Formats: sequence, structure tokens, C-alpha cells
Amino acid sequence: MNFFETIFKYIGDTYTDRLSYFPTNIRVSLLIILFCIVAMVELYIYILFKRASKNREEKQIKYWKEHIDNMLANVVIYDESDDTDEIIAHFYPKIKKMPLRNPIVNNILTTEILTYHKNFTGKVPEVLAVLFHKLDLDKKSRKKINNKNWETKIEGIREANEMEITDMAEEIVKYTDDENGLLRMEAQAAYIKLSPSNPFHFLDRAQERILDWHQVVLFEIITKNKKLAIPSFSKWLRSPNDTVVMLCLKLIDHFMQFDAAEEVQRLLKHHNPKIVKKSINIIGKLELEDAEKHMFGVYFDHPDEIKLEILNSIGKISSGNYAEFLSSRIYSADTKIKMEAMYAIKNDPDDGENKLKEIFKQTTAENRTLIKHVLDNRIKP
Amino acid sequence: MSKILIAEDEVLMLKALEFKLKKDGYQVDVASDGRQAMDKVKSETYDLILTDIMMPFVGGMEILSYIKNDPLKKSTPVLLISAVGLENVVLEGFSLGADDFIYKPFNLNELSVRIKRYIKQNVF
Amino acid sequence: MKEFLATFEILFNNAIFYYAMVVMASYVMLTLLSAIEMNGYMKKNSYLNYREILVSPLAPSVSVLAPAYNEEATIIDNIRSLLSLHYGNYEVIIINDGSTDSTFRRMFDYYQLEKVDFAVDYQIGCNDVRGVYKSKLPSFSKLTVVDKLNGGKSDALNAGINVAAKDLLLCIDVDCIVQEDAILKLAKPYLEEKYQVIATGGVVRIANSCKVEDGKLVEVNMPKNLWPRFQVLEYIRAFLMGRMAWSRLNGLLIISGAMGLFDKSVVIKVGGYDHNTVGEDMELVVRMRRYMYEQDRRFKVVYIPDPLCWTEAPADLSILGRQRNRWTRGNLETLWAHKDLFFNPRYGILGMLSYPYWLFFEWLAPIMEFLGLSVFIILVIMGNVNLEFSLILMSMVYFFSVTLSTVAILFEEMSYQQYTKGTDLIKLLLAAFLEPILYHPLTIFWAVQGNIQKLLGKNSWGAMTRKGFKENKIPIKTEQTTTT
Repeated sequence: MNFFETIFKYIGDTYTDRLSYFPTNIRVSLLIILFCIVAMVELYIYILFKRASKNREEKQIKYWKEHIDNMLANVVIYDESDDTDEIIAHFYPKIKKMPLRNPIVNNILTTEILTYHKNFTGKVPEVLAVLFHKLDLDKKSRKKINNKNWETKIEGIREANEMEITDMAEEIVKYTDDENGLLRMEAQAAYIKLSPSNPFHFLDRAQERILDWHQVVLFEIITKNKKLAIPSFSKWLRSPNDTVVMLCLKLIDHFMQFDAAEEVQRLLKHHNPKIVKKSINIIGKLELEDAEKHMFGVYFDHPDEIKLEILNSIGKISSGNYAEFLSSRIYSADTKIKMEAMYAIKNDPDDGENKLKEIFKQTTAENRTLIKHVLDNRIKP
Repeated sequence: MSKILIAEDEVLMLKALEFKLKKDGYQVDVASDGRQAMDKVKSETYDLILTDIMMPFVGGMEILSYIKNDPLKKSTPVLLISAVGLENVVLEGFSLGADDFIYKPFNLNELSVRIKRYIKQNVF
Repeated sequence: MKEFLATFEILFNNAIFYYAMVVMASYVMLTLLSAIEMNGYMKKNSYLNYREILVSPLAPSVSVLAPAYNEEATIIDNIRSLLSLHYGNYEVIIINDGSTDSTFRRMFDYYQLEKVDFAVDYQIGCNDVRGVYKSKLPSFSKLTVVDKLNGGKSDALNAGINVAAKDLLLCIDVDCIVQEDAILKLAKPYLEEKYQVIATGGVVRIANSCKVEDGKLVEVNMPKNLWPRFQVLEYIRAFLMGRMAWSRLNGLLIISGAMGLFDKSVVIKVGGYDHNTVGEDMELVVRMRRYMYEQDRRFKVVYIPDPLCWTEAPADLSILGRQRNRWTRGNLETLWAHKDLFFNPRYGILGMLSYPYWLFFEWLAPIMEFLGLSVFIILVIMGNVNLEFSLILMSMVYFFSVTLSTVAILFEEMSYQQYTKGTDLIKLLLAAFLEPILYHPLTIFWAVQGNIQKLLGKNSWGAMTRKGFKENKIPIKTEQTTTT
């Protein structure tokens, strides 16, 4: 018997005849070893199989991508004066010839049409919309929206959104308050763009939180979309959903909606400190002089974070009514408050910098260093 | 024939730009990331450079600042393509000497007219 | 005597067996948890678009803090790559921790710095700041350089925190290769979690043999040297399996010192980094968690599995040994400083799960292995051992660990697949077979050495950090990895 035969025989015996004679722990160990080896072999096969199938898929994707890239790039370079129907008549049969049932081809085609549609204005999106419809891709999007799977739903909603298929708005609105955050956000984003008459309807019915992340996305869409009719966002400031209030405050801020002044002042008494802080911020930006006394009234009841915001706001309004208050804050015990008060004084368009320089002459050494910092315009606060 | 470099990491957009400018009769060179673009900018001379701001490895701003700091190349018009509408990016771009900004989404035909204008200016 | 030894051997075998069983069971649990978490993350992430956060004025503002000590060779490139990160509202603060070479001069000249009238508010303790500098050029307006007296890495970071003007702090090692979308990915959890996020951590990957140009990663390769290659495997296991599972449980204890994003207000409340430990990264997270529990505030520490940060791993065994020795001591110091957390229900998951796990498995496991091996050798010498049984027990541990590594490689294959070349994959799979025999015993040795040194009160960090953290971190300031 050679060496290997001995080994194999030993292993064979260990797992058959001898197995029942081992103590329990050794027997369990032997079984675990066996399990591990089987698992490893399976893992190797799986990893190799995965790699191989991925490589194959990548090759296919590469081939079709090249092909579709070239075709679509030719579609988008027409002049404004060229006839849409002619362009379509030229390309439609060529696209139709491709194996559109192959999900890879279909996916590439759809994403590429979407990409061009998103990135270009003028003739291109017009031609692509017609093409999308003619290839029945819009029907596919609709099917996706009604799919059970949330990921597929999102895909469908995105397609409807990018291609601006307005008649899908009604199907999308029901997802704007879905419990799945991603789906909810996608639906809200699409609804704003697609709803012809009442794009902000979803805010009336929003029970679920609009996460900060979603607020970023919605804010981008609302502020960058030039075709959108912007409503007065103050009407949602009484919403029981704090996240709706927050989003609307951010929008009021961006669009400088002065008609919201009264409602925003009311929010100074809101239970949510984030909302209070944002309201103070807006009061400053809109320079609502009437609100100064309210802010001053509550100043000492609030934590530092809100105090700083109030000082900042008073600085922006710079009515002069609270100049003494600001100067007194320079002697606060907290460095941040001191600095904010100094910035507020500096912000006064009526020669704030010089006022600060005056103070510099007659204040403590510590304050002088701070004032120097505040006056140094190379440092951005 | 005027020679143009397009640097854009989104292959699809790159292709559209390439085809359009070739159709307009320019000699077109392409780079699909910032590093390639930088290599090309360093080794060759172009009549106009069209570059995306956000690209892997080397951004459009770096390419811009390289060109505008090179005494031999600084007259080359540089057009920046950007989806970023942030003011500071625009300011930074112009302070570095960018000739124009193109915001996505844009009109390809309008772009082609602009490019024609910049190239003409440079000829005289 | 003979009888006693025979009984002892049975007891000994059983003890090893049951300890191994518990450890293995915990690994299986962690693996399952991380599989769930990974799957969820990958699925969610494929539907996300980071463009909005990039351009939005509503995105949180970030200060990037990078301490530098004697980095003259690379500092200019490192800063350049930090200034070109893809993010809207951020600043870069380089803290020159009293470098003795030309680090500061180089920055001063290249970035055309000038001193500004900055009034540093020493909210948390740090050595004196000699000056704060900004660039005269508008294109470098994001850059601030802080020049301070040497005080070590923690001290430098604290100085940076005192100067930082933004809401979040990205603390990084200046010589790491940071992926351009790192801030985007790390900042996102701050916007989407139900509870307050106090910190997010990123994965650290190993850059040995990778192609790097202008401070940016161009091509990923498997390290040619065997020791870094084992570390690749170790990191994949620790990050994709260990951390992901702890993130799922919201019990994550470490955020890599090489890259972590923190809520500045909480960091300041807890007093910043601790100067008195070599494990300052872990210690900070533990202290922040404690603070949140003590305030009865609900919070999360989140972990992002994307490869966002690449670092050079020590290829030299003596340097690697020093690194591991230091990690062990850092671990021990943190565990000791927070010993009242041990099974303390006041501190929720931290007290009831994370801390005990860390103590029993991360700290105790190498010691147990060492003791087990020593006793085994003694028994063999005394001729009193059933070699067959012992070998079977050892093979079980061996095969289990190889299987675990293979599962980790599968995770990597299913998620990021950084090693695209077939040969690299095979090298990695082979490394999994050799690691338990060649590499693992060394890590145990270093861990035991670190424990002994610490217990004997040999605080070698003392003298070293005073000179600057560089010396301590020559072994590349990577990251604690769990020995998972």
C-alpha cells in the first residue's frame, strides 16, 4: 500500500466503522469537518459559476451596448429643422430588428433612451418620446409600476418620470405614502413632475415621514423644474407631519415667499426645535422686522443652538432696534455666542464693520482676538 | 480643419457629442476619463476643449487650470459641461478662466452653434 | 499521576471543544446577520442616485480633518486629492502636528498660504495652535492649514475639531487613498435614518501592488507579497462580515481611524479624542455611544460596506507585529477604561452584547488559543496525549476557518468584486488555506505580546506618541480589524 492509499483508507475508516467508537466531541468534530469540506466545494463551484455567467453576460452587454450606443447617437444628432417622422421612419425598423425580447437588449435600450432624454433639450427628447411610445416601452413601464415587487415598481416609476408620461400620474399617486421609503420617495418625485393639475397634492395626504434625504431630492426637483407652478407653501405649515412642515420651510426659504411671514412667526412656538430653528433662519433671510421682538422675547428660554440662530437673524434684519442687545452679547460667557453676536454686528449694512472696529478699541483682549477673526474676510464662517 | 477634444465619462453622452461634432465637420478626439484627457491635452494642441467637470481621476477643473496656466495653450477655449448648478462651482470655473458653461440638459444644436462661434473667434 | 493526566487531557479536550463551538457559533451568527445586512444594502443602493445630495444646498456640511506628521514626500498630492472629492459643501483642514521635516514649508509654498487672524476656540483640549493658514488662491479656498505644536494623532485631530466650521467631521489618515464619492456615501445615512446618526464608518481596503496615479487608485491588484495578501483576506472578513453584522445589530464599536464621519456636536460634547490611549479610534466611538445612552437619546452608528478608502498594509513582519501589538494594547485600554459597561443593562446593546463580545472573543480568543497550544505542547512532551483526537480537533478548527474565509470571499464576489482578474481570485482562495497555518499563529503571538507588555506597564506608546504619531503608525495607520 502506498502513502495515499493509507490516507484514504484511514479517512474511510474514520467516517465509517470507527465513527461510533469515538467520544462525542470527536464525532461532532468529524462531522463538522465533513460539512465544511462539502460546503467549501460547493462554494467554489458557485463562485466559479457566478464568474463565468457574469463574464458571459458582460460580453453580451458590451456587444449590444456598442451597437445601441451607435444607433442612438445617430438619432440625437439631427438638426432642429429635420422632420421627426422622417427620423423615426429611418430608425424604427432598424431598432425593431434587434432582439428586443432579450432582457439585456431591452434594458440597455430603455436606459439609453432615458439618459438622452434627461440630458438633452429641444428636438432630441421629442424624437425619443415618440420612439419610446412606438416601441411599446411605455406599456412595459406601466406593467412595471403595477408589479408586486417594490424594486420593479421603482423602475417603472422612474421610466414614467424621465419620459414624462403624464397619464401615469394617477397610478403613481397611491404610492406617495407607501411604507417603503424608497418607493414613496420615487413616487413623490415622479408625481410632482407628472401631475398636470395638482403636483403637490401628496403633501395633503402625507402621513409617512419625508426623510431628510427625500427632502433633498424633492427640493432639487421642485427648485430646478422651471415648468412647475410653485404654490404658496405656507398652506402646509400647519401639517401635523413635521417633515412636511420642514420641507415647506426650506422651499419658502428658497423661493422667498413673503406671504408666509405670519405662519412662519407662529412656528416660533412649535414643539420641534428643528422647526423653530429653521423658522428663525427664514425670519432673518426675509428680514421680517416685526418678528424681532418675538425672537428677543424667547431668546433666553432657548438652548445655545437656537440662541445662535436668533443672533444671526437679528444681524440679518439689522433694524438697529436690538443693537444694544447684540453689543451686550459680546460679553456672554460662551465664545460661540460672542462670535455670532459680532458677526451680527458686522452684518449691519449701515457700516457694521466700523461699528465692530469701534468696539474693538474698548473691549477685552479676548474679545479683540475674536473681533479680528470676525473681521478677517478670508475666514468664512 | 479645427480639432476639438471632448472629455466626458458618460460613454453615451461622449458618443452623442462626438457624432454631432464630426457631423459639423470637426476633427474630434475623445477621452472617457480625466486622466486620458489630461494626457491628450499635454501632448497635443486643440482648437477647443469641451470637458465634463465631474470625471474619474482628474476633474474638468484641473484640465481647465492646466490649460489656462500654460502660456502656449491658454488661448484655447475651454467649455465646461456640468450638471452641477452650484454657484461656487461656476465661480471657480470662471475664475480659473473657463470660457463658457454648458448645463445639462442642453440643446445639442445650440452647443454646436456656440462651438462654431468660439472657433471662429480664435481663428481671427 | 498518570490517571490525573488522563483525566486532565479529557477535560482539556472538552474545554477546547466547547470554547471552539461557542466561537464558531458566534461566527455563524455574525455571518448570517451580515448576509442579511449586505443583501439589504446592495439592493437599496442599486436604486440610489447620489447626484441630488452632491448639488443640494441642504446636504450636511463636512470638515475633512487630516493630521500630518513628517509627510513631506506626499503631502502636496494628498491634499490635491482631498480637494477634489465629489461633494458640495465641505472644507479640508490639514493639521501639521509639529512636523520636523519640510511638510509645512511645502504646503506653504505650493498652496500659497497666508496666516489669518483665526481665534481658535479651545472647546476640547489640545496643544497650542501656532497659526491657522488659508490659501491666497481662490481655487484652494476649501483648504485650511493648522500649524500646531506636536502632540500626537489624537491631539492633532482635536485641534482640527476646534477649528472645524462644519457640522460633520470626516477624520482620515492623510496618506490614505480616498475614493472620490466617499463623503457622499458616508454622509447619506445622516439624512435617512430615523434616529440621530452619530458616526458612520467606511471600509478600509489594502492598496499594496495596486496601481496609483496622482493619489488616485487606478487599478486594483492582489498584493504580490504574501503578508499583505493575508491581510486582504483578513480585512474582507472583518469588514464585509464582522462589521456589517454589528451594524445590523447597531452595536458597532470601532470606526476605522483611517476613515470615519462623526457628528461634531457629539464629539465636542464627549471631549474629542483621548490622548491617553493608542486605540483612540475605538475609544471615541465607545465614549460617544455611552454618552448617548446616558442622555437617553436614540442613535445609530452606521457602517458603509463600499470600498471608500485604500491604504498600504505593512509588508514587513516586524512592522506588522508592532501594528498588531499596538491594536491589542489599544483594545485592552479601551476595554479597561470602560469596564463598567460589562453586562450593564443601562447601556443597552453596548453593555449587554458589544462589550462582552469584544471581551470574550476579540480580547480573550487569542489568549485562549495561546494557552491551549502551550498546554498541548506540554502534554505532547509528557507523552500523555491522544494525538489522533487532538489532530481531529485541530482539523475541525482549521477547516472551519478556511470555510469562513471562503464565505467572505463569496461576499466580496457578490458585492464589490474588486479583484476582477481570475488569477487574483485564485490567489485569494489559496491564501485562505495557508492563512490559518502561516499567518494566524503570528497574530496570536503579537496579541499575547501586546497583552503582556500592557500588563507589565510597558507603555511604549508614551515616548513614541510624544515624538509624534508617525512613529507609532509607521506600520501604516490602518485600522483595527477583528480577527473574525
